[in-house]
Amino acid sequence: MASNLNQHHHHHHHPRINGQISPPPCPHLADFLSRNGSKPFLALQDCLRSKPPGGRAAIRRDPSEVPRCVSCGDSSRPRLYACVACAAVSCHAAPSPSSSHAAAHAASYPGHEIAVDVDRAELFCCACRDQVYDRDFDAAVVLFLSTSSTTSSSSLVPASKPENLRKRRRVDYCPWSPDIQERILVGNGSSRLDCESDQKPWGLRGLNNLGNTCFMSSVLQALLHTPPLRNYFLSDRHNRYYCQQKNAKNDNNNARLCLACDMDAMFSAVFSVGHAPYSPAKFLYSWWQYSANWASYDQQDAHEFFISMLDGIHEKVAEKDRCKSHSQGHGDCCIAHRVFSGILRSDVMCMACGFTSTTYDPCVDISLDLEPHQGVSGKAGPAKNHHSCNGNTDSKSSSESCGISSLIGCLDRFTRPERLGADQKFFCQQCQVRQESLKQMSIRKLPLVSCFHIKRFEHSPIRKMSRKVDRYLQFPFSLDMTPYLSSSILRGRFGNRIFPFDGDDADGSNEMSSEFELFAVVTHTGKLDCGHYVTYLRLSNQWYKCDDSWITQVNENTVRAAQGYMMFYVQKMLYYKVSEKQVS
Amino acid sequence: MRNSVNRPPTPDAVEHQEKEPTLQEIINIKLIESGEKERLMELLRERLVECGWKDDMKALCRAFVKKKGRSNVTVDDLVHVITPKGRASIPDSVKAELLQRIRAFLVQAAI
Ligand SMILES: [Zn+2]
Ligand SMILES: [Zn+2]
Ligand SMILES: [Zn+2]
Ligand SMILES: [Zn+2]
Ligand SMILES: [Zn+2]
Ligand SMILES: [Zn+2]
Repeated sequence: MASNLNQHHHHHHHPRINGQISPPPCPHLADFLSRNGSKPFLALQDCLRSKPPGGRAAIRRDPSEVPRCVSCGDSSRPRLYACVACAAVSCHAAPSPSSSHAAAHAASYPGHEIAVDVDRAELFCCACRDQVYDRDFDAAVVLFLSTSSTTSSSSLVPASKPENLRKRRRVDYCPWSPDIQERILVGNGSSRLDCESDQKPWGLRGLNNLGNTCFMSSVLQALLHTPPLRNYFLSDRHNRYYCQQKNAKNDNNNARLCLACDMDAMFSAVFSVGHAPYSPAKFLYSWWQYSANWASYDQQDAHEFFISMLDGIHEKVAEKDRCKSHSQGHGDCCIAHRVFSGILRSDVMCMACGFTSTTYDPCVDISLDLEPHQGVSGKAGPAKNHHSCNGNTDSKSSSESCGISSLIGCLDRFTRPERLGADQKFFCQQCQVRQESLKQMSIRKLPLVSCFHIKRFEHSPIRKMSRKVDRYLQFPFSLDMTPYLSSSILRGRFGNRIFPFDGDDADGSNEMSSEFELFAVVTHTGKLDCGHYVTYLRLSNQWYKCDDSWITQVNENTVRAAQGYMMFYVQKMLYYKVSEKQVS
Repeated sequence: MRNSVNRPPTPDAVEHQEKEPTLQEIINIKLIESGEKERLMELLRERLVECGWKDDMKALCRAFVKKKGRSNVTVDDLVHVITPKGRASIPDSVKAELLQRIRAFLVQAAI
């Protein structure tokens, strides 16, 4: 950290804020730095406080100081600034210069323009009346807030970060761009879309029910139209003939079983001419063989099938490609994980001292609890329900009166800090005893395709009983995942700082890739045991209902009204590429 | 900060501090000293996020920055433009809850 604090040259390198290039420092800050360096900012380190532990950063000379304006004596003004040059605290208000003692202070004492907000620990130029940034100062604040001990995993460069994650960063997803030969192939392939006489999109066909197999068909329909997965198989990246030939050489009994090969066969068949329903019998057989030795699997559950299928593809492909590790954390191990694998971050903070322990876990989907029943008490009410209520934020109980659960609400709850009860105390490395803690989840890395699984089936292993929760859940067609990213969550905790937070990409591409479009919804209707799965697919912005072998065009309101069980969202960039019809 | 140079002459206005503090001042200081102010702020932040107020303000800010151009807007411009709208759109339920909490604090602190 010490070396970091001395990198003064950074000030002139147009650093980035929230992934965007920040403007050069204002003349007052530039002048201040050239005369004093960052020393005055570093001196502020001693005045950093957070109350309660883990709370926001504030500036106080001693912990119990009540800051007040030296000019008017007021301590209740919302904005109080401490001059960085002389420590005088002044009040500030936006509109007129006369109402700001901070601006008056800056005007009367040249060189006293830069001040620090005592309640936010953020720098401000009282002459420009704008926030300014200093890398060293921000580094000191983040370091202070991360933990008071240097041995812990800092939130910026987590010490606990597994080796594979570090590797992962260097080999981030790089989109495949076709060479000339492939481009011709692609061109030939896409011309098919244009010469379709009926308006049915390419590859849209029913899947025959082979006896209670709708749980499988519903997921296969979503996978067949998952843009990056479809592109992978249709561009022959896993050739079944080649794969089987290769396997025959290593005379391994199990080697012939390859779910990716079966996917390849299915993609070829489904994306060939015609619209007759397809029977995924071969696939079912292979998958059944694969999962036969998988004890805890629930035959009828689409989500369980989805998970086991990705596992199956991973196991076979990663094994064949002699991937050193079987762990999916890489994301590059196999096509299943390259498409679906994201990374979750979990912070557990000690409520006594603020020490935070951070862990990262790969995930192929996010399972969300349906929000608890609402409308009884506003206190337990979910967040942002006004999304569903035409934005009448003024009315007292807009969120209570409409009481509709939403995917957004579920995600808000998923990433909200959660106080772990006295029965789940965690061992704090700093206090060296078990303490009450605050846990917060966030998304470190978004996958190309985000699958959200709504926990509609409640299993109680003790009572050997399961039940289904039939409750409507609203889901958006376009979803911005920015608020749930680790970088956003950390920014909320640390304030506006100059350098990237966990997961902020240096090139600012984050903002683009956090926008998602819905392309498939797997729904479940009926009772737990005798229910039926149906998938809605969005192709070229038109919705289709895939009910076993039956495909029908449906209105988007039908989809909105459906009881979603699994929602598949793809990064917007990838979605528009598929939906645009080729213009030749 | 403590060992800073160039401390300007103490402003004459410091005398203000010696005058009898108002009731509002006393309450404010009690709130700060007890840590209750920080808790209230946290509660308020949470409520304003829940009711969508924060998103609305964010949208207003974005719109304003877009209109003015990214490099022509200062924090003070934003505060000046957004504050009246922000104050006006805080749900009554949130105000009521906060008032309730402050009252409870005053009773308990026996002011
Ligand atoms: Zn003042
Ligand atoms: Zn000063
Ligand atoms: Zn300035
Ligand atoms: Zn294969
Ligand atoms: Zn894998
Ligand atoms: Zn601790």
